[in-house]
Amino acid sequence: MSVSADWSWQRTTLAGIRDALSLPAWVVGFGLVGVGSLARDVGYPVDVAVLSTMLVWAGPSQVIFFASIAAGAAWSAIALAIGFASLRFLPMTVAILPLLRRPGQGIAMQLLLAHYVAVTAWTEGLRRLPGIAPHQRVAYFLGFANACMMVSAAGTYAGYYLVGALPLPLAAGLLCLTPIFFLASIAAGIRHRGDLIAMGLGLALAPIFDRLMGSGFDLIVSGLIGGSIAFAVRLIGARRV
Amino acid sequence: MTQPIPLLDGPFWPYLALLLFAFLPTEIWRWLAVAFARRINADSPALEWVRAVATALLAGVVAKLIIAPPGALAALPLSLRVGALAATLAIVLFDRRRVFLAVLVGEAVLIGGGWMLSQAA
Repeated sequence: MSVSADWSWQRTTLAGIRDALSLPAWVVGFGLVGVGSLARDVGYPVDVAVLSTMLVWAGPSQVIFFASIAAGAAWSAIALAIGFASLRFLPMTVAILPLLRRPGQGIAMQLLLAHYVAVTAWTEGLRRLPGIAPHQRVAYFLGFANACMMVSAAGTYAGYYLVGALPLPLAAGLLCLTPIFFLASIAAGIRHRGDLIAMGLGLALAPIFDRLMGSGFDLIVSGLIGGSIAFAVRLIGARRV
Repeated sequence: MTQPIPLLDGPFWPYLALLLFAFLPTEIWRWLAVAFARRINADSPALEWVRAVATALLAGVVAKLIIAPPGALAALPLSLRVGALAATLAIVLFDRRRVFLAVLVGEAVLIGGGWMLSQAA
């Protein structure tokens, strides 16, 4: 819905919440149900699962965290893999901050706004914020992002308890929600051949390096090799055009 | 299993592990972006490479979850897991906006297939 420039910050926040609940919040929340199931599977408490959604606020990081613990990976390998998978937040945050920055805004507010940067709030923010008056954007963005986060926290909580209570095919379906949702989001974000190659090589190389190396570093190595090849192909292709 | 670090072991270990090995490596990039936002070019080739590596890494996570799956998912045959993933991928590659439908169809393949197998057994 469109936000009128004379609306109070309360009304603008509500508009953000309403826009999130119109669909995006449910998509993210749905995707994080599987994270709750994974956390249950490695025997971590439910509050760690829900906290991971609110603090980490990045599905891929959360999945690498719980799935790597399940696989018995070294802590250093887990942190490194998560660091690499989250590097994308640097350019993403850099891109969205100019839309949200206001004169006199403190560093604490900017850090808070940056915390909500994740795929959904970012893509939707880039799309919707330019149409909103600059002084209303922070209220709108916080309403939108917090609604997404609350629905997702509830989804994570539900996933934690559902996986043990459901019959086998449905429990398997919950655990498979994560890889299915991830692959769908990766594929939906493909912009050119380089992205497609990166996705294909990642899918193919990870199981191979898993056999060869193990211990969690296999994920980083296959990512570095697959991503670099995809980047090189893209560079060569761009030069030819 | 991934072992707790002995010095820090205790009931708070999962919380500490979450903060140290998941929250920090993720949040640091958001912080750095705030600190250096005015000096970073969001379209630079270096960040393009980072994006490619992150894409391959995430696809790798998906592959590992399917090849060596957690808990109940391991009870279903590999062919069914791969089939569910392939159905999802085919739909999204056909139409990028159909993410939700693709997830539902992938889940339907997996759960439906699992249900039929349990009936046949």
